[in-house]
Amino acid sequence: MEIPVETKVIETTAFQTWMGNDGIARTKVKPQSEITVKEAKENSDAVNSLHSETNFPLLVDARNIKSMTKDARDHFSMNNRASYVNAFAILIDSPLSKIIGNFFMGLNKPRVPARLFTEEEEALLWLRGYL
Amino acid sequence: MAKRISLKEETLLEKEPETTGEKRAAEILKVIMSYARLDFSAKTAIGNNADVFDAIAAGVNMLGEELKNSSISLKEKEHLLQEIHHRVKNNMQIIFSLLNLQSENETDKKFLVLIRECQNRIKAIALIHEMLYATHGFKYTNFFEYVEKLTKNLVYSCAIPGMKVDFNLEIDKEVCFEVDRIIPLGLIINEIVTNSLKYAFSKSNKGLISIKLDHKPGKFYQLTISDNGIGLPEEFTIKNKSSLGMQLIYLLAEQIGSSVNLDSTNGISYRLKFD
Repeated sequence: MEIPVETKVIETTAFQTWMGNDGIARTKVKPQSEITVKEAKENSDAVNSLHSETNFPLLVDARNIKSMTKDARDHFSMNNRASYVNAFAILIDSPLSKIIGNFFMGLNKPRVPARLFTEEEEALLWLRGYL
Repeated sequence: MAKRISLKEETLLEKEPETTGEKRAAEILKVIMSYARLDFSAKTAIGNNADVFDAIAAGVNMLGEELKNSSISLKEKEHLLQEIHHRVKNNMQIIFSLLNLQSENETDKKFLVLIRECQNRIKAIALIHEMLYATHGFKYTNFFEYVEKLTKNLVYSCAIPGMKVDFNLEIDKEVCFEVDRIIPLGLIINEIVTNSLKYAFSKSNKGLISIKLDHKPGKFYQLTISDNGIGLPEEFTIKNKSSLGMQLIYLLAEQIGSSVNLDSTNGISYRLKFD
């Protein structure tokens, strides 16, 4: 997932986050990131700061993830917290990111529609339905 | 100094791991072995290759977190259940005390007897909750211990001063029942033993009340409660169940799917069969 030139990117410990020109927000896990609830909260603050008028879908590039704690998974499920995100797609490819992605989807039951994808284009196509 | 246990010994492998893959598999096995010992805090390192071993390691770590979380929730639920039984028992104790207060200035003997009988029924149920919150699992109550305590309470409450009554309990000390079974059984025993203590014996004779539970695996339970007293009055018929106590015995027996077999040829004997 390429960061477009001249785009304002919010840098946090484990993520790079920005709003795409198509109205779909992006957040990319930095290589070898171990996500705890601290990194998860930093990320949701960054994502929510992209809000202007309407709720928006989010594309999460988790292909470089190393691990994610239960607290972080609970936080990302968006249960019991406010968020401007109305749907999110998670990009996975390696066996490691696939395991983490499937654990998250299976055990944490996100509050908004969420799906795993291995192809970025397919993920964006699905997310456009939530614009 | 503690002996260092090798990965081979710790993970039950046939040989000491040699290759990188074997060593990583052994490290993951070690964590799974910890989970088998209910130690869910163990974690295995995740490498930087994002390969199958890292995926398995991440999966095992996440499973451990979920198991740890589930075991905590289970402990919280057990604590809650214990609290509920405690409160039920305390609330019953309050009702018991209210009845005491109600009868404090009362002189009508008939009224006082009715109050005491009600109190004994409440106590029979409260005793189950008292025993439940003291047991592990809060589901089963030991029948022998329960009957022993119940009968002691009844002697204290109902026996006529000077009267001598012995109890013979033939109950397997391993038998336990769930709440929905032991409450009706407890109330039935409460009624029958109360009747025996009230009517069966005279001061001059030594009374004997027997409570026997027969059970063969896969077959019915048979509960027999009997006394060696004067038996039933001649005018009594089974259809003439005018007292609340007798009505309760038959209704509660029905609740546990049992009929009541009553024999008054030598003292009195009630026999119930249930699953």
